[in-house]
Amino acid sequence: MLDTGHMLLTLASDAPAGAAPWWVMLIPALPMVGVVLCTLFAIMGVKSKLPAFATVGCLGLACVLAFAMLLGSDDAPGVVKAWQWFDISWGEGHGQTFSAIFGFYIDRLTILWMLFVTGLATLIGLYASEYMSHDQGQGYCRFFMAFNLFVFSMSCLVMGANMLMLYLGWEGVGLCSYLLIGYFYKKPSAVAAGKKAFIVNRIGDLGLALGVYLTFVHFGTIEYAELFASDQLQGYLTDAAHGHFEHIPAAAQMIPLLLMVGAFGKSAQLPLYVWLPDAMEGPTPVSALIHAATMVTAGVYLVARAYPLFQVSEYALPAVAWIGALTAFLAATIGMAQFDIKRIMAYSTVSQLGYMFAGLGVMTSIGAAAHVFTHAFFKALLFLCCGAVMHGFAGQLDLRKLSGVAKMKGWGIVGITMLIGCLNLVGFPVITSGYWSKDMILAEAFVRPSTGLVGWLLLITAGLTAYYTFRVFFRVFVGPVEYHPGEELHAHDDHAAGHGHSHDHGHAGYDHSHSPEPAHDSAHDEAHGHFHPHAPGWAINTVLVILAALTFVAIPLVALNHGGWVGEMVHGSTAHYEAAHAGGGSHGSVWLVGLDPHQVMYYISAVVGLAGIAVAWALHYRGRREAAHAPAAEAFKRVAGPLQRWAEHKWYVDELYDFLFRNPLWVLSQVFRYIDMLLVDGLVNTAGWLPSALGGRLRRGQHGLLQGYAGSMAGGLALFVVVVLLLVSRSA
Amino acid sequence: MNSVLIPAAMLIPVIFALAVAIMPAEKARGTALLGMLLGAVPVLGLLFLFDYQNAAAFQFAGSVDWIPEFGLRLSLGIDSVALLLIALTALLGPICVLGSWTAIVERQRLFYSWLLILQTAMLGVFAARDLVVFYICFEFTLLPMFILIGVFGSTNRKIASIKFFLYTFTGSLIALAGLVYVAWYAAGHYGHWTLDIGDLASAARTMSPTQQGWVLAGMLAGFAVKVPLFPLHTWLPLAHTEAPTAGSVILAGVLLKLGTYGIYRFVLGFVPMAVAEHAPMLAVLSIIGIVYAGLICWVQTDVKKLIAYSSVSHLGFCVLGLVAVNATGLSGSILYMLNHGLSTGALFLMIGFMYERYHTRDMGQLGGLASKMPVWSSFMVFFVLASVGLPGLNGFVSEFLCLIGAFQSSSSLVAAGHPGATPGALGPWYAFFAGTGMVVAAMYLLIMVGRVVWGKLVEPHEHHHDDDGSHLPPDLTAREVTALIPLALGCLVFGLWPQPLLGAIEAPVNVAIRSFEFEAPQPTPHPEHAQADAHVGEVAP
Repeated sequence: MLDTGHMLLTLASDAPAGAAPWWVMLIPALPMVGVVLCTLFAIMGVKSKLPAFATVGCLGLACVLAFAMLLGSDDAPGVVKAWQWFDISWGEGHGQTFSAIFGFYIDRLTILWMLFVTGLATLIGLYASEYMSHDQGQGYCRFFMAFNLFVFSMSCLVMGANMLMLYLGWEGVGLCSYLLIGYFYKKPSAVAAGKKAFIVNRIGDLGLALGVYLTFVHFGTIEYAELFASDQLQGYLTDAAHGHFEHIPAAAQMIPLLLMVGAFGKSAQLPLYVWLPDAMEGPTPVSALIHAATMVTAGVYLVARAYPLFQVSEYALPAVAWIGALTAFLAATIGMAQFDIKRIMAYSTVSQLGYMFAGLGVMTSIGAAAHVFTHAFFKALLFLCCGAVMHGFAGQLDLRKLSGVAKMKGWGIVGITMLIGCLNLVGFPVITSGYWSKDMILAEAFVRPSTGLVGWLLLITAGLTAYYTFRVFFRVFVGPVEYHPGEELHAHDDHAAGHGHSHDHGHAGYDHSHSPEPAHDSAHDEAHGHFHPHAPGWAINTVLVILAALTFVAIPLVALNHGGWVGEMVHGSTAHYEAAHAGGGSHGSVWLVGLDPHQVMYYISAVVGLAGIAVAWALHYRGRREAAHAPAAEAFKRVAGPLQRWAEHKWYVDELYDFLFRNPLWVLSQVFRYIDMLLVDGLVNTAGWLPSALGGRLRRGQHGLLQGYAGSMAGGLALFVVVVLLLVSRSA
Repeated sequence: MNSVLIPAAMLIPVIFALAVAIMPAEKARGTALLGMLLGAVPVLGLLFLFDYQNAAAFQFAGSVDWIPEFGLRLSLGIDSVALLLIALTALLGPICVLGSWTAIVERQRLFYSWLLILQTAMLGVFAARDLVVFYICFEFTLLPMFILIGVFGSTNRKIASIKFFLYTFTGSLIALAGLVYVAWYAAGHYGHWTLDIGDLASAARTMSPTQQGWVLAGMLAGFAVKVPLFPLHTWLPLAHTEAPTAGSVILAGVLLKLGTYGIYRFVLGFVPMAVAEHAPMLAVLSIIGIVYAGLICWVQTDVKKLIAYSSVSHLGFCVLGLVAVNATGLSGSILYMLNHGLSTGALFLMIGFMYERYHTRDMGQLGGLASKMPVWSSFMVFFVLASVGLPGLNGFVSEFLCLIGAFQSSSSLVAAGHPGATPGALGPWYAFFAGTGMVVAAMYLLIMVGRVVWGKLVEPHEHHHDDDGSHLPPDLTAREVTALIPLALGCLVFGLWPQPLLGAIEAPVNVAIRSFEFEAPQPTPHPEHAQADAHVGEVAP
């Protein structure tokens, strides 16, 4: 499957792991301090913004330490141990000790990830200090406690020294995701979304756990430092580099396929992506940090971290590429037909994660990491812009009910930063970081003949992305000024659940000095009379500007000389992978009529992106007089017919899953429940009833309970005899 | 001197039981609490004085001859596995009293006396080095529990208690038959009667596979009912649902562990060959239990019944780890006994506290308690997460180890040269199917939390506080929080730092797995497996 003639495979991390400085342990410790502080604040009943500032302080310090880690890094990975977590030994030999340290493995991939995790967490914590201010008190403490716990778990996931630490962080971020999605716990939809996220992720986690088991059983260790330096793995890599996959045991080739399942769960890929759009029930800072920028990239991190394991499997990386590309395409088609701008962003996250996986699959780990890096900034920016809109318009997220927001007083910064975010997501040529990172993936996909179709799928998706992104921008931020506030105008937290809206976003307790009136009246009011949009304050604006600036800062970091600084970071880690042509060799691709993708993809993707924007402009901006109706778009919708309707209903995937899995399982559970009640128990009871009935005939008037249950003994015996017979028949 | 500690730990509760029985009723609960706390002091002594370097040896040993001609002696002694289970029992004792403080208003003396006597019986089971002590205590746990359920339970308490009693009693009788057979065999083997558990184990291992198979079946009848292993579990949901809170906590926390402890000590110790042979069947039963009970939990409406079924599901992991017969599986299984005691015991307490306030356990009538009882809800979510097996909390450690134990335990993997595999008859597929239990557990527990804790506040219509005179505040009292904090700390500390426990049980676990190093006599269908099944080593002494 791999085209070995054109690649030179350098073995990853053959440098032995040294010791990392002790203070890197402070990076996970600081958010833990934040957790403890916020818990204490909750117990003390703090009602100020103290939890937020404590959080920002802890996370800011962690971010500084992450920078220190960058400055102090050298080529060799380092390990630091806090304490021994597991150590079970049953012999002296290799693989006869199951051990895992509670400790951290620092290489450049770790540092890269930790930089944007802690940096974004600090910024978004600051943003949330204002955004969540309506809920000061216990809810505020709870929010920031879970927020800190998330950063702690993410640090364990990224910095963990072994697969078990990864698993700890993996489920830990899942827990925080669950707690934060369900933050507005009085809303049934939020509770359901949190539950769904956790359960779907658990399916992935099962795959991950089995992958960890198999890694241990096959390699005899789950410590990264030992695993990646093991001769066994290096031998497999050599075999794989020469295309001799038949020399690699099937068990080793199975490992990445299992780990992959976990990655697909956490990073919302087919077929486990269904939880992420629903996760938008959480407060927007959570959506930005957890469900766009950091947690959902954990799957990408896992594949990148375990890249040597993935390379020794013949089918793993192609499977990753295909799943990624299909997810990217499917999510983009759904995103095109949604009306809720936050959900559109959620689908775009799924879609962009698909790009990252495709990047890993087509063996440009640098491109994938670069896209993770740039995406973290611009997608956080986009979500925070949406959050500002939601905050200002009482939870309104329907793009048919808002128009010309950027022209309103106090909304200029949001408008401009939103435009920057959109351009990045589209990959607007040259001036956006998203362009450079996406381009690496696209070009690489066309290089290998085996993944050309993946490349085309991704290219088409790029066009769709441009369309749906600018559909939002042209509808909501420009055009005639018009707005209808959301349904949570005067609803306080206690009442928010009462309305039962299908997609209200729980942004309750709007701090607006209006006389309280029933929420329904205002919601259906034309609103100009009563409602004044609530322009964002300093914290929100500052964070938006910083993030927008960071998207530009990221350009040189990813664009210069094949991945730039990010490329260097990946180069010095386990995700390192280098194809020969990266050093200058160029050749044409059969999939691009013989053109060299590295040369022409810059232009092709630019054209595709611009075309998407143009279509969005023509359908949603040109000739639109009011928020709800864009004549051109409606004409197009009529042409698209049922396709459009299906896409709007997310291709009925949720319904399909219910039909295929949930409902049969539910029926089965009910059957089991009745079996348990009637058959197993009934058998015992019947056996208990028989002697009492007989006894009743013999001695009328004597059928006590005790007698009945003496018979149940016999029933149990009867069952038991069956078991015994089975045993005996087998031993005979 | 040290040998006084175990008898002291056992006697103090009995003495206080007598004291409670003759005291005025209003002083019963205070006296009981004092008794439980004082009873825990010698256990603390055990924990500190235990020689962990020599953890497989039975320490603090002491014995009294009874009828020497028949080998009848009363002897006590503990290794680290027994020590940890004794510690769990001693921990749960005072917590049970605190948890029943206001729930039991009538016949308090009866209740607390039997609770204390139950404590002694349970300690005796774990401390026994002798078949007589073991069996007497094992059986004697039934009577107090029968009374706790039958007198202090809910509406169906009579049926539940009788069913509990007869079901488990029948099982134990069959187990007794198996044990007596072993004793008889050992008498022939040694030429004199002995009932010492260690001697019996050595003798029993020399039995033929067929004999071992029968003994296995007999002993399992007793222990598998206790665990409970599918399909012998049907007494448990009823008993749990009807039992008073303290009864449920003890039942889930310790009494079920008598079954798994029995399997560990007697089944694995006495008849390793039969275990090795029948491990797949036992594993399949455990896995069926895990998934079947888990799915039943999913469609339960009674919270307490849900947690009861979840015990069936969870204990399936425990048995799976035992029959994996490798270090990870056994360590995981022993830790599971402790961890399940902490987290499920705590969950039953939580439900008891809720029931005291609302007098219902029906999820249809309860909801959104987070807005009324934030402290209760925080604890509830915490213990549910421990029970779900969230990494960082204790449930994960044991569940993960049981699963990896089942995964590793495959002689064919050993034959294929995987360094991390151990000899055994299970394998990756067992881990996979058992692992689906992880997903199912997340389903039913989070759905329960979603209904009871989150959502809009729903309270029963006829809800009023002042009908029983307890006047509990809406949220947890300091007493209730005091009862929960040790459990919560245990869940957290042993999740993040299980190594002290793992280190403590390493020696006995390695002794146990060495008894499985024998020339496997059973015919194996696949020649490549047969080669792998023939372990190196000799028949253990």
